[in-house]
Amino acid sequence: MKKAVLFVMTAASLIAASPVLAMDNVKDLASTCNACHGLNGVSVGPTMPSIGGLPELYLKNVMLQWKNGDRYSATMGRHFKGYSDAEIAALATYFSKMPYVPVVQKADAKVVAQGKDASERCETCHGATGSEPDDNETPKINGQWAQYMHLEMLKYRNDAVKMPHRKMRGNIKKLEEADVEAVAKFFAAQPK
Amino acid sequence: MSFNRRDFIKTIGASSIFVPVSALAAPSGSTSSKARIVVIGGGFGGATAAKYFKVVDPSLNVTLVERQPVYTSCPLSNEFMSGHGTLEDLQSGYDGLKKRGVNVIFDDAVSIDPTKKTVKLKGGKSLSYDYMVLSPGIDFNFSGVEGYTEAMANTTHPHAWKAGPQTVALKKQLEGMKDGQTFLISVPPGPFRCPPGPYERASQVASYFKSRGMMKSKVLIADANDSFSKKGLFEQAWKRHYPGMIEWVAGAAGGKVVKFNAKNNTASSDFNDFKGDVVNIIPPHHAGNIAKSTGLTNDKGWCTVDMLTMESTVHQDIYVVGDSTVHGELPVYGAPKSAHMAATQAKVAVGAIVAKLNGAPAPEPFFVNTCYSVAEKNWGFSVVHIYRKKDGKLVYITDAGGISPINMDDEAQLVLQRKLESEYVHGWFKNIMADAFA
Repeated sequence: MKKAVLFVMTAASLIAASPVLAMDNVKDLASTCNACHGLNGVSVGPTMPSIGGLPELYLKNVMLQWKNGDRYSATMGRHFKGYSDAEIAALATYFSKMPYVPVVQKADAKVVAQGKDASERCETCHGATGSEPDDNETPKINGQWAQYMHLEMLKYRNDAVKMPHRKMRGNIKKLEEADVEAVAKFFAAQPK
Repeated sequence: MSFNRRDFIKTIGASSIFVPVSALAAPSGSTSSKARIVVIGGGFGGATAAKYFKVVDPSLNVTLVERQPVYTSCPLSNEFMSGHGTLEDLQSGYDGLKKRGVNVIFDDAVSIDPTKKTVKLKGGKSLSYDYMVLSPGIDFNFSGVEGYTEAMANTTHPHAWKAGPQTVALKKQLEGMKDGQTFLISVPPGPFRCPPGPYERASQVASYFKSRGMMKSKVLIADANDSFSKKGLFEQAWKRHYPGMIEWVAGAAGGKVVKFNAKNNTASSDFNDFKGDVVNIIPPHHAGNIAKSTGLTNDKGWCTVDMLTMESTVHQDIYVVGDSTVHGELPVYGAPKSAHMAATQAKVAVGAIVAKLNGAPAPEPFFVNTCYSVAEKNWGFSVVHIYRKKDGKLVYITDAGGISPINMDDEAQLVLQRKLESEYVHGWFKNIMADAFA
């Protein structure tokens, strides 16, 4: 009996130690992300989000939700099933410590104005220009890629797929069809 | 999209802000900065290796040898053939690597002496190395299809399995086709570069026919193999988008082409004659010739490596990456010969070499692959591979990875899934090009 207890304790202390172990080589794991998300998490591809400098808790939640099947993804779930929760936590910490580098995308002034008008419902959580999220679970979206945000909103607008954030789903579904792309372009055009 | 050239340059600029991430970065004057590192081949594998040496430790002395001043990507070249984008979209020069301090030499590496650790270049130069990353890609075995020659490939019958002038030539042939004609693709025995590539090409050719109302035209695939990558996904796409337009003949059904008669455009297996108005023979291939002549290849023509570091099992201090290698968890979960795989292998080789230079053990390797295929507008899908070290061996993680779902609960879900991946491929492409060349 004593032996069993000792074993359990040892196992527990190993598990507790694993985030630290994962931290040691997190940069090697993180460098595999660069192929799609850019060096230091700054994407140069319009359909792939920049991930450097996003809030730690947001990054961690999203990755874990993909891994556990709680959040629909076209591709990412198949990646994260290959990593431990501790490794995912280490990745979130690593990328959250990078500077957030907005990629400011110019758009037609009319479209940006249309997007600004339609984006009022986004303000409470993301800030007026998307740069001031109200908590650590909410991403910055200023200077995020417009096409990526547009595609992400298509997920929220599609009831057939599982998205965990009820408030996001409600608000995005309330947008007029014609405003979805404009909202994405408005936030993409904001430097700060 | 509002993404223009200026944004692109700005983004590249932003992404090159140096963030000191490497605990391994050695101070200048250390052993590592004196070591001579030579990278042969400037495709996805070689360019990514050259870049990441500099990312990990800017003081490293890195030379890249590449034949051509402009690289043309194979990924997205099938889409280019069917009329999407320009050849320039697929290309990159080497200025990005030069700016990072890589010494880029445009020359042909003709021989490697693994004992003296030197490389001879066609232009007469000889380079000494302490560590080499060899990323020679593939070369073709033209004797694999009797009657098909390299001269034909360069003129009348491009294989277009290396992107560039042949891609443009095959595109022109496609554009010259009339309704009712047949585009024939002959697929070599595996392993070959880009496992889903021939079937994506078939899809893109069918997409071209469909978009021009050439509904009587056909794509015929004569295959040396009995199955193929993402088969269920391709067959679903063909049934949905091109019913009756694409025919696949398996090896077991006599699909393996062994002979070609250019006079009547007929490719033959031991059982069948396949006639095409455009004939696209993809010849069998093997590791790049320099790997062969250095003795790095096995009896099947591919380079065997230490699965965890990419170091050649034949010659020490030569790390082989990319299409020329046999890698993954063999035999069932072999790594695909893809751009993404080459890039991930390159990063692992860099990590292993830099660790050696610093007298440290090789870091834990992480290998990741994502291959997208686009079968039709808004209809893309992918396969993901994750390989990790478990109990001292490289294993394919069966809990992760795999292909996009074929059937989904509901049509709206399926249409969204395919649309997302058809868009993601373009973001992936821009990033992986920048990750290698910028």
